[in-house]
Amino acid sequence: MSDTDRVLLIPKIDNGIVIDHIPPGFGIAILEIIRRDPAMRDVVVTLGLNYHSSKMGKKDLIKLWLDELSPRVVQHISLVCPGITIKKITNYEVERRYVIRPPQSARNLLRCLNPSCVTNTEPNVDTNFTMVDEEKKKLKCMYCERVFSLKDLKPIIP
Amino acid sequence: MKRDLISLDDLSLEDIRGYLDLATHLETVPDERKLTRLPGAIMMTMFYEPSTRTRLSFEAAMCRLGGRAIGFAAADATSVAKGESLVDTVRTVENYADILVIRHPKEGTARVAGEISLLPVINAGDGANQHPSQTLLDLYTIQRLFGRIGNLKIAFVGDLKYSRTVHSLIRALIKFSHLDFVLVSPESLRLPTYLVPPPEQCMDVTFRETQSLEEAIQSCDLVYMTRVQRERFPDSLEFERVKDAYCLDADILQGAPSHLRIMHPLPRVNEIAYSVDRTTYASYFTQVRNGLIMRQAILLTLLGVAP
Ligand SMILES: [Zn+2]
Repeated sequence: MSDTDRVLLIPKIDNGIVIDHIPPGFGIAILEIIRRDPAMRDVVVTLGLNYHSSKMGKKDLIKLWLDELSPRVVQHISLVCPGITIKKITNYEVERRYVIRPPQSARNLLRCLNPSCVTNTEPNVDTNFTMVDEEKKKLKCMYCERVFSLKDLKPIIP
Repeated sequence: MKRDLISLDDLSLEDIRGYLDLATHLETVPDERKLTRLPGAIMMTMFYEPSTRTRLSFEAAMCRLGGRAIGFAAADATSVAKGESLVDTVRTVENYADILVIRHPKEGTARVAGEISLLPVINAGDGANQHPSQTLLDLYTIQRLFGRIGNLKIAFVGDLKYSRTVHSLIRALIKFSHLDFVLVSPESLRLPTYLVPPPEQCMDVTFRETQSLEEAIQSCDLVYMTRVQRERFPDSLEFERVKDAYCLDADILQGAPSHLRIMHPLPRVNEIAYSVDRTTYASYFTQVRNGLIMRQAILLTLLGVAP
């Protein structure tokens, strides 16, 4: 059986969301973010790992039987894995497709790496980051004013 | 909309010029008139770590404008020691005053206070991050010494790696144009590269490194000295080797150009000998005086009161 045939064995989605072009290895991390949203508790989900991709070689893929992802979940995913595609499926057809980009600002989605930052030392202070270099994906903490690479910052899981 | 002074990064060149112009104007306002500017106003100084100079300067500035200062000078003397959060402390003390001045060892604290409070908030130092009134008084001193901020060759000497004062002043100066910076530091205390902006982001600003203080003295208009702190050196032998390399005395200043000026954020330890104080180069006590004027300009600006 070829890789393509194997992919076809995964159930097709009639109405729902497909998160596509996930770099291999990130599927589980993204599923983890989705799983923590209380609204996702009863949603049917399939996770595919290491699918064949003509563009990427390999990719992960998630299918969800629900209408929309919450904006917070999308923002969270965009921080972990910018550049992936989200497709909205209606009657087996792609109704809408968009590539998610890293956000221009992220309030209370990421933890600051500076141990002396007030967001790490005071209770009840939300973090807030602003994109200062889109190309290099660098974000500035709006409190301690230090600049970090997105890949080094850890998301806050609610 | 209330105004805060939290970070130099929030200020445009016009904002900075606004503070400089107001301070310049205040030089001409008679003392008795100043006393009528903020009668009855109360400034709250919330100092979670001691900084006597900064606190006294703010308090004197407020008193000279006719207002009063209250506050605390160490966190252990307050309910903070009993575990009160910053948010609760700010919400409590803002009922007692018209403006808050906060100093705190954790970076970003003043920003949080500014977001919570309905009052104007002044950052008087948040850890290694910002101390904007120091930066503004340094800019004001440069303007007064040379009549301009631009067309100047400025040497920064000493601990360029950790000095918040130097980092903040460089970040402010590059908003101006036609400046040449000469960086004089031991190898282990060089200016972090992220502070050197790409050339296309600033107007005619250059950076050059040297290890020779003598050369900097001969070629620059201004020498900005900093303290080299022993605790920054993992190896005390290295500290002993470099500490005197960056020590100014009357001898090393022999034959320096007459327009040269020397600044230092104070307190000094050994890096400027007392023999320098009597020379025409010494401008560090002028800085202290200018700090008082600049803090008056800041209080008037944030409280929206005309000079
Ligand atoms: Zn931070």
